[in-house]
Amino acid sequence: MKNTIRNIFHSPKFVIGFIIFFGLLLFTFVYPWFVAADPMEMIGQGNFFKPGTYISVKDAVESKNYTLNIEAKSSNVGAHIEEKDKKSMREWLVKYGGVSQEEMDAADDNALVELWFEKYDSKADQKGLTASKKKSYVRLTEKLKKLASDADVILAQENEDGELEATGSFDSQTYVNVGDVGNKRRLVLGTDTFGRDVLTELVAATKTSLRIGLIAGVVATLIGLILGLLSGYIGGVFDDIIIFITNLFTVIPSFVLLILITYSVGQSARGVGTIAAVIGLTSWTWTCRSVRSQVISLRNRDHVNLSKLSGHSMIRIVLTDILPYVASYVVMAFILQISSGILSEAQLSMLGLGPSTTNVATLGQMMNWSTLYAAHLNGSWWAYFPVVLVIALISFSLNLMNTGLDQVFNPQLRD
Amino acid sequence: MKKRMIKVVAALASACMVASSFAGAAFAAEGDGSTPRNETLYFAGQQWGAINDWNPMSANSNNAMGIQQKDATRTLIYETLFMYNILDNQMYPLLGTEYSWDDDNMSSMTVKLNPDAKWSDGTPVTAADVAASFDYNVKCQSSYGVEMTAYIDSITAVDDQTVTIKSVVGEDGKAVNQLMIQQMLGKMYIMQKAYLETVEARCESPEAMKLDPMDDLVASGPYKPYYDDDQKVVFIRDDNYWGQAESMWGKLPVPKYIGHTIFGDNAAALLALQNGEVDVSQAFITGVEKLWEEQDLPITTYIDEPPYNLAGTIPTCWFNLDKPGLDRVEVRKAIAIATDFDQILTSAMTNQSPSFEAVPRTMMNPSDPEQALFDHDALKDLQWTGNDIDGANKLLDDAGIVDTDGDGVREADGTKLSYKVECPAGWTEWNAALEIVAASAKNIGIELETYFPEASVWTDDYTTGNFDIMMNSVTGASITNPFYRCKQFLYGSYADAEINYQGNYGHYHNDEADEILDKLATETDEATLKQYYTRLNEIYLTDVPSFGLMYRPDMFYTVNESVWTGYPMQDDETNIPPADCTDGYGIAALYNLELVEG
Repeated sequence: MKNTIRNIFHSPKFVIGFIIFFGLLLFTFVYPWFVAADPMEMIGQGNFFKPGTYISVKDAVESKNYTLNIEAKSSNVGAHIEEKDKKSMREWLVKYGGVSQEEMDAADDNALVELWFEKYDSKADQKGLTASKKKSYVRLTEKLKKLASDADVILAQENEDGELEATGSFDSQTYVNVGDVGNKRRLVLGTDTFGRDVLTELVAATKTSLRIGLIAGVVATLIGLILGLLSGYIGGVFDDIIIFITNLFTVIPSFVLLILITYSVGQSARGVGTIAAVIGLTSWTWTCRSVRSQVISLRNRDHVNLSKLSGHSMIRIVLTDILPYVASYVVMAFILQISSGILSEAQLSMLGLGPSTTNVATLGQMMNWSTLYAAHLNGSWWAYFPVVLVIALISFSLNLMNTGLDQVFNPQLRD
Repeated sequence: MKKRMIKVVAALASACMVASSFAGAAFAAEGDGSTPRNETLYFAGQQWGAINDWNPMSANSNNAMGIQQKDATRTLIYETLFMYNILDNQMYPLLGTEYSWDDDNMSSMTVKLNPDAKWSDGTPVTAADVAASFDYNVKCQSSYGVEMTAYIDSITAVDDQTVTIKSVVGEDGKAVNQLMIQQMLGKMYIMQKAYLETVEARCESPEAMKLDPMDDLVASGPYKPYYDDDQKVVFIRDDNYWGQAESMWGKLPVPKYIGHTIFGDNAAALLALQNGEVDVSQAFITGVEKLWEEQDLPITTYIDEPPYNLAGTIPTCWFNLDKPGLDRVEVRKAIAIATDFDQILTSAMTNQSPSFEAVPRTMMNPSDPEQALFDHDALKDLQWTGNDIDGANKLLDDAGIVDTDGDGVREADGTKLSYKVECPAGWTEWNAALEIVAASAKNIGIELETYFPEASVWTDDYTTGNFDIMMNSVTGASITNPFYRCKQFLYGSYADAEINYQGNYGHYHNDEADEILDKLATETDEATLKQYYTRLNEIYLTDVPSFGLMYRPDMFYTVNESVWTGYPMQDDETNIPPADCTDGYGIAALYNLELVEG
């Protein structure tokens, strides 16, 4: 036993898979110690907030000010406008602003901005310009105004009479130290469709998915193992019946069966446990078939016959004389079952047939909602890519561990 | 040797694939469905499958691109007498030029037809055709015909250009509902009498006419069918269209072709819009402003700022009052005030809805004419903006609805407050809104599980009252509203129908509301109307038989200006509504389009 385990840990493939898998597992347990927030809490009002640190504006305004002599953007607006914006400003000024081409060519960036504020009028007759372009000029002007404004921002509060009273002002060289700001939240991976913290949700979802994988794996392996052992060992009519049922399940695509069952149990009954059990119940067939074939080749070995002659009970023979020989195979199958269980949940949830969204985070549901809200089309990578990565890492590490084990246990592959 | 074999096979296979993809492309180019890009206006979000018929009386038509008989009817192929404009709630002439009531009781109406109006076969559109359109709808028992017999007694031709519509009158000699007759002017498709007779002759019975595909249709609209399969639908302009007469548009619509690719899902349609392969999209696009702000695409909506579109309807959460627990007004109100509407607005609707702070909740839509119909101050104390967890908890505690068995869920009269909230799968923003309702209810000890079945299951459930809490919309902008919408929310006799498609799905009963609604149908005095509507809203907000989750446009309208420009925009002074360039008076947009320069 000890020797086997040492052998396993000498397999580099297994070790890499093991490190990745337990790294993920460890992370899901350690992370909640640091971030205790409810993963399902909708903190962001809106969807897909960018990753970063969010500090309270009110706190920032009220915390200690520092003056840093750093040149602010407003003193050189021209340098902060994108090339394509400059180009379209020039086009507008020549076409609708009555500026000659020579004058335009002579103007540098800052002169261009000045000209723009002088000549641009959103109400001007802009024949031939599309509505979207007209609106983009309005937005550009707003942006320029903000950039160009070097007026101080005045802080005012309502006094007792309900009038605004200035209580302070900031110029563009006023800074605060982020450490001074009390209320802040670091959203390492931003927020999702419902404004939930993606990283916290991801950790919770990984845990759920691993649980689903584990339950599904245990259910599938147990059913497959028991049926395989019995039908292989007992044989005869019993074997025929079991292999008939197994074949039946094999020819029906298990995913279709999975969809039908989860659909018919209804949304309200669709908890994590149910989903996991259903996945397990539809994926035991190949474990059963392989165990059975191994048992058939084992049952006429000498030591089994000796046990029979010694009058040992069937259960004892199966458990002590047969099971240990198929155990290594079963462990490998179990690992693959976990992996496919996790993938099945993700697939189901993508179809909207996973566990209910409000109660529990799962990887598939995170994928489902981010695609429904077009995260992949509007550049919100943080809402779906980390989820894909975690799914990939889990199944990659499990498969790697499986291959590693195979190398150790399979005499044909042994170095 | 073996490896080489595999390589050869792989090479052959990939060669085959490349060849077949070329073959596919070549075939598509030869097929008669392709049209020049700069003569075609492409739509998305209307047609989701191959067209099955061209029959306006059909019971199971899926021809959404060509035939949509509603308040602002789609008049690309068939036309209506008038065109409804959702912006000013007015009727604009189309086949008809003017209409007027013959007396104060509104027992009959006279409609004048445009003498220039012609069918696609060149014959004039006459009063007999209008009468026949109504008669055949009744004769073949189309759903619209059945509905209208309650309001219209008959339509007769006085002479070629004059039609008389006789109302069904009540005991007081007044029309039972004059609004439905006005609505008909902009809703009912006018079909050719001679053609209808041809169809009748080839059908076994009048009912069978509903199943006739009408592939050989005769219509009066500016477009006619050109090509359709399971990939796309194309209409071609009828260059002999009567509307180029000075009495109508004075010209032809600009695009020669109207095209609609049949997309697999919203994401595919969005991708096509981003790529400039779609000009006008009716699909809900999440975070639509990112298309121009971040991706810098030539895409825009009717309004440049949130909510980006004109809100017209109120997707609503309906309580089933027959269910124990939900028959308690405290429970209904608690769920309603606990719901985080700001979260629904910002995340489910991505800001494409006015907030309940901006337009306080009533049964009225946010348009000015409807908002002017009630006393805002009288309702102020009854309205709520949501996320009031403390208030909801207090309401339930005071009513004695508490958690007695310690499972975290309250009980009312011994019933655990645990319900399913239902809407069709794949209706993205509705699904998200209900997720938020469920999440909010968790905070007040009420267990809501979202349930998203297929749309047909949901329809069965809500029409038969087989639900706990359900989401469904009500009618949007219409000449019959807000009257009809209020009826949908409150009218008792709808609830008594065995199969209820009309409204009041939660079986709410209030005698006072019924009485007011009966009087409203014929009331025209503005002060009285205001009084009635204020009272109805008071009842609605007090009893909470349902509550609005958001405001939503009747149609989403997002345009890509890579090829065409000149679309109606807010404040452009054209008074053309953002009805996707196809519906009601929105079709006027087709006459103003122009190609983008350069």
